[in-house]
Amino acid sequence: MATSSRQIDSQTTRAATGVPGLWWKSATVIIIAYVIYGAFFIAGGAVNFAGNGNIGRIIFFHVPVAVLSSVVYFVGAVYAFHYLTRHPDMETDAKSAAAMELGFMFCILATVTGSVFAAAQWGSYWNWDPRETSIVIMLLLYAAYLLLRGATGEDPVRRARLSAVYALVALVPGLFLIWVMPRLPALQSLHPPDTIIRMDRTSGTYKMVLYPSFLGFTMLFIWLFQMRLRCYHLCARRSREL
Amino acid sequence: MSRPGWAADAFALLEKDFRAELRTRVAMSAVGVFAFAALLLIALAMATLKDARSAPLLKLPDPVSLDLLSRLSHPAWDPISKLGLLWVLLCFSAFAGLSHSFLHEEESGTTTALRLTMRSGSVFAGKYLFNLILLVLVALIITPVYMVLTGMESGSPLVFLCVMVCGCVGLSAVATIVAALAAKAHSSGALYGAIGLPLLVVFLLMLLNAGSALYAPEPGLIATVRAVGGLLSYGILILAVSALTFQFVWEE
Amino acid sequence: MSLAERQVNEVVKPGQCPPVPCTLAAVDLGRVFGGREVFSHIAFQVGSGQVHVVTGPNGSGKSTLLRIAAGLLSPSAGRVDVVWNGRSLDGVDRRECLGYVAPDLTLYRELTGAENLRFFARLRGVAMDRPALVHILSEVGLKGRGRDLVGTYSSGMRQRLKYAFALLGSPVILLLDEPTANLDAEGIAMVERLVAAHRMQGGLTVIGTNEPREVGWGDAVTCLGVGN
Repeated sequence: MATSSRQIDSQTTRAATGVPGLWWKSATVIIIAYVIYGAFFIAGGAVNFAGNGNIGRIIFFHVPVAVLSSVVYFVGAVYAFHYLTRHPDMETDAKSAAAMELGFMFCILATVTGSVFAAAQWGSYWNWDPRETSIVIMLLLYAAYLLLRGATGEDPVRRARLSAVYALVALVPGLFLIWVMPRLPALQSLHPPDTIIRMDRTSGTYKMVLYPSFLGFTMLFIWLFQMRLRCYHLCARRSREL
Repeated sequence: MSRPGWAADAFALLEKDFRAELRTRVAMSAVGVFAFAALLLIALAMATLKDARSAPLLKLPDPVSLDLLSRLSHPAWDPISKLGLLWVLLCFSAFAGLSHSFLHEEESGTTTALRLTMRSGSVFAGKYLFNLILLVLVALIITPVYMVLTGMESGSPLVFLCVMVCGCVGLSAVATIVAALAAKAHSSGALYGAIGLPLLVVFLLMLLNAGSALYAPEPGLIATVRAVGGLLSYGILILAVSALTFQFVWEE
Repeated sequence: MSLAERQVNEVVKPGQCPPVPCTLAAVDLGRVFGGREVFSHIAFQVGSGQVHVVTGPNGSGKSTLLRIAAGLLSPSAGRVDVVWNGRSLDGVDRRECLGYVAPDLTLYRELTGAENLRFFARLRGVAMDRPALVHILSEVGLKGRGRDLVGTYSSGMRQRLKYAFALLGSPVILLLDEPTANLDAEGIAMVERLVAAHRMQGGLTVIGTNEPREVGWGDAVTCLGVGN
């Protein structure tokens, strides 16, 4: 408690003197702006995609968000592990929860953008392609985590412990989704081959937009993560003042 | 957990749970009644399917071959989907009753007495064994009935047995840790299914994968071992993570 | 040699404590529940043969303090040091060598009194044959009711059974929260006798109560909720 209150104080003083990390936050804005511009004006239409390849432009937003939605789960799980083993304080718990909430948001975005793309490319919003199955399971895992957090009321320590344990247990299906499922012969047969984006076959203009897009969305995640963390701090301070 | 006799403690808890279970039969009847009700529903659905398909049968000229009749009475699903449906049934049955193991201790307030006398490792082991035995018993009763009703083949009996056992190991691991979480979260049944079933989706996919090896026309040994091993490894991993993290659920 | 093994090897009659020096000390103890501070900066020390009483109005954290002392709940600040025979015991070790009676302790309603005691005796590594069972049941005034389901017991009988549970393995530390709740005059006398016997045998006792009579049993008193 003592450490977190000190952190809050330092954050409020920093907020009073100016925006912390202004340079990289403006860089994020510039990169995202470049990606939005580049997706429509720099990259050419993709070969083998519907609508003269213009459908493929959603990839600049869909793929980074989809990749982040699983990476962020690991961030949350690492904080959960830290909470249980090293730093059992509310700060670590808040970090884990903030990561999970943002992961859930990215997961929804990835599902929606993927579904829009699927409708335009394959003519149906949902095809039960293994990748779609994985993202929907990921969505369920995030939702279950947040549900458990919401249902474990009064005692924040208990809430922190239970949700950390759930985050680690749900890591097992998470790992299976990434490492084992793509190698299952039974699921390969359902898998349309053109969803796999082969990097060696993408053109230079694509790479020029796609790589900054990964960077931009990762920086956006860090920014949102910090903001969410500050929300947690403010909530904690308010409940102490009451 | 290094204390000598933690296994003895786990068996003491197991024995206590069975003694109490045989007296009250709460978990047993919850799982059993649910499983049989679900089985009945499936059987009814099958019967309607059968009716729909046997309608043109009446118009068929005599003699109707026995082979055709049996094909018509057993809807033409592939055995893998039948296996999947069986496990959906078992998952829901497990989730109907296995929460009892921890919820009952938590609700009646006996956890304090347990915590004063047992280590968390023994508690988890005892509860896991109880759930596993209960699930195996239910599976032993349900599976033959289901096979008769749906005409599901067993494939290679040994592999089938392996699939069923590995399935039970994994399912009871998920059921046990989720029951502990739901019980400590102080919100009973509703939460239990909601946080448990997402963990089971991947498990079911692994089961279907094992099923595809089981019912393959020429099952290769390596493919079978890989498929069943994948299923087993999911169960073992969940079990290991649960056993390692259970102390954080158990302690306050 | 672990504590459990000691308890098995040294055949001690229930209620009898091995004369081993033991201290329980609360150091700067504090507990926060859901952002609200229940108590803070609590300090006291109890030695062998002493009875310590914790009092305070409702909601001042008597039960919480006893749960922390028992190792059932972790403190938000400070610590509880228990030194037994020159060895410091952590929360989990401590739980296995203390007797705890409290309103939040419940025994299995679907088992009989005797089955409950046999089960917990097995977990504590205490041999529990028929004579021992009869002895411990008669000690708490439940003779002849061992075969009844705990679910059929009255609340006073359940309180008595909790004493039988707490005395399993003759613990050195007794933690009693509202020790005479639901008990009749005879039961209260039994508890008084137990506490006196425990003190005589060099055990240490912590009692959480608001009954003036029980406050009188203590050598020292900690009053919670006064500062607030």
